[in-house]
Formats: sequence, structure tokens, C-alpha cells
Amino acid sequence: MLHAEGLRKQYGEVVALHGLDLMVKEGELFCLLGANGAGKTTTIQLFLGFIRPSAGAARIAGLNVVEHPLQTKALLAYIPENVMLYPNLTGLENLRFFTTLAGKGELQDTELLSMLSRVGLAAEAVNRRVGTYSKGMRQKVGIAMAMAKNAKALLLDEPTSGLDPKASNEFSALLRRLRDDGVAILMATHDIFRSKQDGDRVGIMKEGRLVAIHTTSELSHADLERVYLDHMHH
Amino acid sequence: MAEVNPRRSRHSMLGTLIQKELREISRNGSLRIVGVAVFGLLLVTLGLGLREARAVRAERYAAQKVADGHFRTQDDKNPHVAAHYGTYVFKPAGALSFVNPGVDAFVGVSLKLEAHKRNRLEGARARDGTALARFSRLSVASVLELLVPILVVAMGFAAWTAERERGTLRQLKSLGVEPRSLLVGKLLGLLLALAALLIPAFALCVVGVSVFGGALEVGGWGRLFALVLVYGSYVVLWANLTLWASARAKSSRGALVTLLGIWVSVSLIVPRVATDIAMVLSRVPSEAVLSARVKASLNEGVPGGTAREARVNEFSEKLLLQYGFKGAETLMDASLLNGLELQAEALFENEVLDHHYAELGAALDRQERLEQVLGVLSPVIVARSLSMALAGTDAAHHRQFSDRAEIHRRALVDLLNREFAEKGGTRGFDYKAGKELWEKAPKFAYSPPALQWVLGRQFPSLVLLVCWLVVSALLAYRAVARLEVA
Repeated sequence: MLHAEGLRKQYGEVVALHGLDLMVKEGELFCLLGANGAGKTTTIQLFLGFIRPSAGAARIAGLNVVEHPLQTKALLAYIPENVMLYPNLTGLENLRFFTTLAGKGELQDTELLSMLSRVGLAAEAVNRRVGTYSKGMRQKVGIAMAMAKNAKALLLDEPTSGLDPKASNEFSALLRRLRDDGVAILMATHDIFRSKQDGDRVGIMKEGRLVAIHTTSELSHADLERVYLDHMHH
Repeated sequence: MAEVNPRRSRHSMLGTLIQKELREISRNGSLRIVGVAVFGLLLVTLGLGLREARAVRAERYAAQKVADGHFRTQDDKNPHVAAHYGTYVFKPAGALSFVNPGVDAFVGVSLKLEAHKRNRLEGARARDGTALARFSRLSVASVLELLVPILVVAMGFAAWTAERERGTLRQLKSLGVEPRSLLVGKLLGLLLALAALLIPAFALCVVGVSVFGGALEVGGWGRLFALVLVYGSYVVLWANLTLWASARAKSSRGALVTLLGIWVSVSLIVPRVATDIAMVLSRVPSEAVLSARVKASLNEGVPGGTAREARVNEFSEKLLLQYGFKGAETLMDASLLNGLELQAEALFENEVLDHHYAELGAALDRQERLEQVLGVLSPVIVARSLSMALAGTDAAHHRQFSDRAEIHRRALVDLLNREFAEKGGTRGFDYKAGKELWEKAPKFAYSPPALQWVLGRQFPSLVLLVCWLVVSALLAYRAVARLEVA
């Protein structure tokens, strides 16, 4: 579903991403681990079409994101570190707004309310202005947006950063549910623990290169941490 | 899954974009305060403008009645002496003067009509006020031209920068929403929010015009409709400029500073400079210079033309022929000769006045045209020029009134001189006419020129208004299409 072919991004003399090759299948949750500046966010932005690759291609369901921006975006959902919503609109209004723009204007309010309920947003919160929401609540609205859009692929950029453990756990459960529904998920993160717990595979990025890929079921938490730290220090 | 009708889906997207903008604006407390303040100011200026316009209208109507009464009830006297006493005409207040009083207060309202002279308008209301009153005068037009753009800026300066600063632009871009749809949604949302404030004010204008009733004989409704279109376009172009600046700026503060800079330049600096440039490039003789030139021509004839005596004689000969005489020597009636000479002199004076006022009119036209063209530098100049013209309170309308009054003066003087020539007989200047003649004098009835006349004179401003609209829309579109999130 998500396919990077020799994906490269260069800013002047600086190479942010060196020919990345990566495939994330339907129903797979792939975690990209790495320090700041390793190229995780650049990879996400290339799949989103926010920046153009210097070489190679990012494909979604076989479609090049540069050549088919609208079609590929219709298949995608994106959850950044902080899901950004309109603070003067309520949770429901925000969800209605973004889902309509995503081409799902036919969804009724009852369906949207049901999605907000499924992601665990309290009933009293849905008609409150988002300006009063915690980060965890906003992330839940972000997941609801992905569900409402019926996205085939989900891109996440440090989505659990700054969440308390309970909120983080709830978020992980929602991701797993989407994965089980067949969504291909690519998540950039610093969180080794969550990567092992939620991910099917983990890729370790360093200085713009994907230096290792591991299947999480084959590693313990301690193994993954050791492998990661080894790569970071060499 | 059922197929979604693309047309229905597109409409739904636009409606959602507009609805979201309206919600955001209406839920912003600061904007509510600014909006209510501008709306309140609009209502106050409308109310005050209407009250003043009605008072002025009643005052001038009464003054005209008194002047007509004085002329018709004056004592018996020689007709030419009556022409010297003359009468007064008053410019009626335009139906839309309560929207834009224009130059009304500075050019005067009354004109003395008398033999041998073309007087200028007197009784400028500005002379009755303090100097400060000239600067603090607020009208519906000044609120629309100067304060509504500030409201537009306040509502829209963060339209794109806030999306970028909050990160919602990234969210929108990830959905693949076309920039054009976003722009149209934001523009319509902004305009609908403004319409919620301006439409009630427009409704009050309609009520105001209806109250004025009789003053709308000639194209009043057409003028009001055109005025609404002008201000509507003006608001749209400011909304375009605001969205352009917001899309180009790196931050909300940067967008606000840019827009306020533009507002100060095009609202305060450029109109002032443009007026000075127009005055320098197309000089108009002062009143004193014009009077001196007219006086010199009355004594010697128009420059490059026939000398006074010869020209008056030419007119006399023509008049004698009209009356069936072969020459002055065949005319034994001294009074008839006096009367004909007075008519010939009046014709010569008219020729001199026509010559100099045509020059003055051409210079003023050039200056006004130049001012209009300088609207390329500021939409405020364009809107102001069109607004004053449509309200019937610009200098061109005053000149048109003055020209009509001059035609009336000539007809009146001609009537009195002919009466003297035909009925004076041997009594000469001892001949006196009475009520019967005064009653025969034509009544001065002024109606403002048709809308086509206004639009013809304002053609450069109309073209520039369309240009500003198109260019600002293109700028906004290009800036939005190039919006970067990364």
C-alpha cells in the first residue's frame, strides 16, 4: 500500500533522505525509529506530497503521489504530533468539517458522533470547543477523522509524544484496531516501547538512511532497545 | 459504497468551508466588538446623514420659494434694472447626499443670477463651522471607504497565517483540498460575515431614499443600485487583498503590519498625493485669475477674437435684422435702440463667459480625469470618485448645476431685455414693468443628470474598479496556490 522506491530528498548540499526503499502492506503497522533529523518526518512529508522528492518515488496503492496528488490523498489520513483543529469549533464541528473536505460529506451527524464515541471521546466533550481539549482528546479526533475518511493508509508523525500513559495506551489500541481493519500504517516515533508493542515491523533510521528493519515479534523490548542504541552509537 | 454525486459533493464542500469561516468569525469576541463598533458607526452616520440631508433639503426648498416670491412680488421697475437686481437659485440636496455629502459643504449652494455677470456658488456650509469640523466629518461613505476595509483586515488578516501557525493548513493540504476551493470558501465566508453587518445598513439606505421620495425623480434608484455595486466591489477587492497578504506573510503579525501599511498608503497618503499631482499637472485658474481674465475680455474682447465694440456692433446688426430694420440709422425709437444694445451686450458677455468657462471646464475635466486615472494607485480614490459622482455631490454635478443656472440666467435676462426693447418706447429707462412680467419669468427647475451621464464621466474609475477587482483576485489566487506547509 505504501511504497518508497529509491526515495531521496536533498536540500542544497544536505541530503535529508538517501534513496529509501520501503514497503508497508495493508494491515501492517510499520514504525520508523530514529533520532531527530534521521529523516522520519521527511519520509512522511514525501508520502503526503508536502515536499517533492529529489529522486525516486513515493507510491500509495501503486500511484505516484507527485503525479496523482488528489487520488493518493484521498487514500491517506495523517496524524501529526499535535492534531491541529479549529479551537473555536466543537469536536463534532471539526470532524464534520474535515470529513466533508475529505469527500465524506454524506456522513450524518449520528455517524460522526458514533465515531467519536468509538475513539473514546466523552459524550460531554463532543459539543465543546476544541480550544478546551487536551492533546489526547485532539489525537482521538484525529483518529476519528481517519476512520470517517475510510483511509487505506495512515501516516503518523510522533503521535504519542507528550501523551500521558493512559492516553497513550488508548491511542495504541485505536491504532491496532485500524491496523486490524486492513489499514497500512507508517508511524514515525521516538518511542521504542510503543514500537515494539504496537508495530509489526520496526525500521531504524539514521542520518537519512534506513539502516535496519526488524520484525517486532522476533525481538524482546530489551533486544530492540539494544539494537536501536547500537545503531545510534555507531 | 454508494457513489457520491460530484456536483453535490462539491457544493457541500464549499458550504462547509463557508460555514466554518462564519463560525470562526462569529465566535471571535474581538471581531464581534470591532464588527458591532463599525455597524454602530454606520448606523449613526446614516441617521445623522439622513437628518442633515432632510434639513438641508427643506432649507433650500424654503429659500428657493422665498427667492422666487421676492422676484415675483418685487415693485414695478425697469426690466433691465430688475435684471440687475436679479434673483437667487439654490442647488437642491441630492437624493443620496446622506450617503456621501462629497464637496457639498465646500462649494456653496446658492447662486445669484443677474445681468452681465456669471456668479459663483455661495454659502458654503464649511464656512459656518470651525476648522476642526472639516477634519472630523464622518459620513456613510467615509465609514465604508476607510473603516470597513479595517474591519475586513481585522477579520481576514490571519485567514491563512493562522491556518499555518495552528497547523490546520497541513491538515487541509493532507486532504487534497484544492487551493481554489479553500480561497473561494474563505472569501465567501468573509464576505457573508460582512454582509450580515452591511445589508441592514443598506436596507436603511433604501428606507432613507424612500423617505426622500420626491428627490429621486431622475435615476435615484439606479444610482443607489450602482452605489451598492461599487461599494460591494470595493469590499470584495479589500477581501482579496487581505487574503493575498495573509497567504504571502510568514506570520499573522506580518500580515497585519503589511495590510495596515497598505491601508495607510492607499487611504491616507496616495489620495492626498494624487490630488496634488493632478493640481500640478493640470492647473486650474483661481477665482481671482478667472475674474480678471473675464473682466479683461469684457473690456477688449476674447483673446484672438474681435474687439469688444466691433463684436457688439455685429450682434446689434444681427438683432436689428431680426427685428426687421436695415440699420441703426433707420431706428427712431431710442428705447428700442437701448434695448437692442443691451441684448447685443448680453450676447457679447455670454460669448466671453462661454469662452472662459469652457476653458475652465476643460481644465477641471482634465484635472478630474487625471485624479480618476491616479486611482490606479489606490482603490480608495476609485471608490471615492464613483461614490461622490453617484451621490450627485462631486464637483462635476456642481458645475452641471452652475451651467443649468447660467442657461436660466440668460433666458431670464433675455426676457427682461426684450421686454425693455419692445415696450420701453420713448420712456427709455423710465419705463417700468410690473407683476405681469415677473410672473412670465421662467421658473428654475433643476434635476440631476441621468445615470448614463455619471457613468460616462466616471468611465476611467469604472474600468479601474474592475481592474482592481481582477488583479486582487489573481494575486490572492496565485498566493494561495503557492502556499507551502513544509
